[in-house]
Amino acid sequence: MAARDTAWGPMELNRAAAQEAAEALRAAGWELELQLPNLPLIAPEGEAKDLVRRAKEEDAEPVWRGDAFLLLGKAQDLPAVLEHCRDELGYALLYDATAVDPSVDSAELKLIYGLRNLQTKARLIVQARVPKTEAVVPSVALVYPAADWHEREAAEMYGITYTGHPDPRKLLLPDDWAGFPLRKDYEYPEEYNGISCT
Amino acid sequence: MNSHPAARFDDKPGREVELDVATQDCMIHMGPQHPATHGVMRVLLKADGEILAGAQTHLGYLHRCAEKIGESVDWLQYLPYTDRYDYLAAMNNNLGYSLAVESLLGVEVPERAQYLRVIVAELNRIASHLFAVGTYGLDLGAFTPLFTALRDREEVLELFEKICGARLTYSYVRPGGVMNDAPEGWLASVAAFLDGFEKTWHEYWTLIAENKIFIERTANIGVLSAEQALAWGCSGPMLRGSGIDWDLRRDQPYLIYDRLEFDVIQGVGYRGQVGDCFDRTFVRMFEMVESVRILRQCLEQIPDGEVLHEEVGAVIRPAPGESYVAIENPRGELGHYCVSDGTKIAVRVRVRSPSFCNMSVAEHLMPGAMLGDAAAIIGSVDIVVGETDR
Amino acid sequence: MGVLENSLPESILTTRVDWMVNWARSSSLWPMTFGLACCAIEMIAVGGPRFDVDRFGAGAFRATPRQADLMVVAGTVNFKMGERVKRLYDQMPGPKYVMALGACATGGGPYHKYGYTVMKGVDRIVPVDVYVAGCPPRPEAFLDGLMLLQQKIKRQRVIRAQPKDVIVPQGTEAHPA
Ligand code: SF4
Repeated sequence: MAARDTAWGPMELNRAAAQEAAEALRAAGWELELQLPNLPLIAPEGEAKDLVRRAKEEDAEPVWRGDAFLLLGKAQDLPAVLEHCRDELGYALLYDATAVDPSVDSAELKLIYGLRNLQTKARLIVQARVPKTEAVVPSVALVYPAADWHEREAAEMYGITYTGHPDPRKLLLPDDWAGFPLRKDYEYPEEYNGISCT
Repeated sequence: MNSHPAARFDDKPGREVELDVATQDCMIHMGPQHPATHGVMRVLLKADGEILAGAQTHLGYLHRCAEKIGESVDWLQYLPYTDRYDYLAAMNNNLGYSLAVESLLGVEVPERAQYLRVIVAELNRIASHLFAVGTYGLDLGAFTPLFTALRDREEVLELFEKICGARLTYSYVRPGGVMNDAPEGWLASVAAFLDGFEKTWHEYWTLIAENKIFIERTANIGVLSAEQALAWGCSGPMLRGSGIDWDLRRDQPYLIYDRLEFDVIQGVGYRGQVGDCFDRTFVRMFEMVESVRILRQCLEQIPDGEVLHEEVGAVIRPAPGESYVAIENPRGELGHYCVSDGTKIAVRVRVRSPSFCNMSVAEHLMPGAMLGDAAAIIGSVDIVVGETDR
Repeated sequence: MGVLENSLPESILTTRVDWMVNWARSSSLWPMTFGLACCAIEMIAVGGPRFDVDRFGAGAFRATPRQADLMVVAGTVNFKMGERVKRLYDQMPGPKYVMALGACATGGGPYHKYGYTVMKGVDRIVPVDVYVAGCPPRPEAFLDGLMLLQQKIKRQRVIRAQPKDVIVPQGTEAHPA
């Protein structure tokens, strides 16, 4: 059979690509961590549920499944790193740029950029962290125009300021909307312009 | 850059522009209620006489908080919401989400379920492309294509109704497999539909692609170059229409697509330049033919067996981790980025929707086009607003 | 009907005129093309060949509110759009009717609990004549809603005086004087 390893796309390829890109980027002088998942892609028979229970037990090894990704040391490096990925490593397409708020207690937001190389067919995920209280990062919209709308969306949903963004208006929410809906501590509004929200 | 926007036009064949008319810029709001915006979206057009000097897209008129809901309800409860962002291809959305959840669960679904998934996804692709081509005709002023397209689309919906009971919002494909096996004789009726559709497809082709008016209004209009398409993260018929050979079904095969034989259709400049509005429709038209090919192979190969993985129940608790799984939706790359912390509620369900990215480039195709072409350009992107806004 | 509206006493003549006007109104409803979300697709399917809304005289979908007398709110209305829905309604000439198609337009539907931008029912901004249930309503349900609306129109009094003891709830009367 062809280059398929699981039923949901070539995940091994993504892990190999992340390893390769991590080496190349380190060699070019950027500070980063490579995060590799430690669970097998396919759970052994009868263990799909079991694993999670075991992960919850105290002093168990933390388990992690899914994609491999690169975690940058400094969020300020983002535009330069992505530019390097595009020009030197051939990741021509940015398919996604978004953010994650891991939990209410977490002090940081995660920024996520997904890149695709159409020649090697590999996918690369680059992440960075910014503090919630001062969420300011340089925009990559000038490197990849595709990030333009994605960043505008993340900005209004998480309250991130993308410095140097060419058009930092709100995208989906009304202009006078208050609050950042996708933050975990978001409180649903009571009313909007005199119309009750419940 | 030339000072008068009309001057940029000179190299485009077959157009006449009156350069001696001096006009003032005029702002025109197209939408949010406009029949050619395919839903509620607003495009602010800056027109210099009849020629567009710029455009700005305003979204958010259908923002329904899908991502917030994703992190508020159970993994399985979110499934019906996936139906509702791209309501023309709900099977594909179910599939994309289910695959993402399964990749965190680490379960591979039974083979029969994989085949059934491909069958419903491809049927949905046909239905969606039919609707896209039909409404595109409507945008350009022709009613007939829509009504003929709806005729065949109803037949697909009938098949869906038989298998899951719904016409539009199916929730048929679910994490772990599919909801139920195909009823008796269903596969035979799919085969019967394909036989009929192959004949009517030629009707559409003559009705649309060989229609002089259609060609005049789409060829050489809204040309999207390959570089632009890549830079703006386009996918699906938008990317392929510009001559880039990329299809997730072939290049990152999920399910059993690697066992199937099909071609990836690219724009070739059939009536004008590569990447014009006609080429995008061309890609959609021929993708339907490829879908028929895929469906025929699936019907031949489909094995017997279970359709639901026995370890996936009503409450899903995936292993901690994060994974991005993308599938080829009729409109392009539909990705779900799911983050789990091992509980029964997700930390984040990010939806990378194809129309969102495809639409972001549309405003850059407008400058230089005629005012009447704005509808042709927006229509050729084939957006579903439920998905751009989520 | 301007001046005469709801003014004349009951008689054979006024009843017949009423009947005729209502007959004309109810059998040529012109809906506005106004697709919001998933439900709009079912609305288009109703306009298509299989369900053929033309049989009920409501097939002339108009692209402008100025020519329409039926607004079918087909889909989710959020706050950003709500303002525009109101404006579109205000632009329609009377007598005008509103149909809330689907769970979302009726009461927020699946987005009721967590949809922070979703308006929990379009009746908060425009008066609704008919509610159609379903997510999305099947085309048959749409047609049923349409027939309900026609029945409602047929009961209206155009030039006869409104009986004093019937209380017409505020905002639901289709054509305020
Ligand atoms: S009621 Fe259901 S189908 Fe209709 S718009 Fe709302 S979510 Fe979509």
